[in-house]
Amino acid sequence: MIWEVFRQEEPGAYHTHCGNVHAPDRELALAFAQVQHARRMNANSLWVVPRAEIGEVDAETAAFGGTTDKAYRWAMTYTDVDASFAEEVEASEREQAETADAPEAHR
Amino acid sequence: MSESTQSAADPIATPGELTDRERAALEALLFRLADDEFVLAERYTEWQIYAPTLEADLALANVAQDEFGHARLWYDLLCELGYSEAELVWERPPEAWHHSTLVERPFPEGDWADVIVRSYLYDTAERIRLAALEDSAYLPLADRIRKVQQEERYHREHTETWLERLTVGEGRDRVAAAVDRLFPHALSLFAPGPRRADIEALGLRTEPIAEQRRSWLDTVVSVLESLDVSVPEPADASPSEAIGRNGCHTDAWDELHDAFTRTYHELGGPDPVSLRAGGGGRGR
Repeated sequence: MIWEVFRQEEPGAYHTHCGNVHAPDRELALAFAQVQHARRMNANSLWVVPRAEIGEVDAETAAFGGTTDKAYRWAMTYTDVDASFAEEVEASEREQAETADAPEAHR
Repeated sequence: MSESTQSAADPIATPGELTDRERAALEALLFRLADDEFVLAERYTEWQIYAPTLEADLALANVAQDEFGHARLWYDLLCELGYSEAELVWERPPEAWHHSTLVERPFPEGDWADVIVRSYLYDTAERIRLAALEDSAYLPLADRIRKVQQEERYHREHTETWLERLTVGEGRDRVAAAVDRLFPHALSLFAPGPRRADIEALGLRTEPIAEQRRSWLDTVVSVLESLDVSVPEPADASPSEAIGRNGCHTDAWDELHDAFTRTYHELGGPDPVSLRAGGGGRGR
């Protein structure tokens, strides 16, 4: 039986998939995972998950994000802000400062 | 930790403060510890690439590495007393080694139950004897115990997990056979050496070895019996004169000793490479 192993490097971080171990049950999977996936790396916590319990959908069966042009999702134009936008930038910064000073008013 | 049966001895912080009597007792104690770890690790490595699964192989190799590391900790303390690595390991004649015969026995070919029973008996003893050193009067020794105990916890969990699984179904017969075979040798873990009285009177160890033996027996007998594995009567299982602790070993030892010292002698006694500048390695 294959157990997928997820390692968390420090408290609060995500558990990230780092490999797998063969083991007949959870307890041995944890014992083996410690040696194979935490002995030489920083580890704060390990998860082991039976591979069969993991659901998967991949790019072959799903069109992740759709198939039509959704370039508007990428706010690319904001990288083109130059001196000609000085007025807008100033207005925006002022508004943000006001919001920070009086958050209640903007709820 | 546990209530000491000796009045607290004055702590000894450096080798220079040792009296001759303390030094002789300390050396005897360190050789027992170091030799047990070294020889056991040497045996464990025989399983490399032969363990039942890749995972089991890596896990045991990991345990062997830990035990080599622990042997290093104790041999380093002997180096601080003036020994060289060659004297401690490569050039020491077989009869000058004082490990328990449990750790030198060869594995019956392919018998995974043997290695699990052996490490169960050993690691349980190890926990008890290390606990009796946490408050050792020799501070450089006491200082190293905690680090070792942390790694030992994994060893026990690993071996106990296996033991539970091997005693369900047909594996139990193999476990039972290994217990019959190894138990007399395991008793030699607690066989006193000639410096026992001094080791205890000087506070180098804070629990008498006879008590350690009793608590080890309490644990292993009840655990094994709960797994439906019977344990020989200690009185009937007393080992032969070969108890290791007295330098007298089983015939398997000469072969093993020859195997791990052969390359050294073939190369004409090279200076072993030291990975740690200064040599006083304190583990990872």
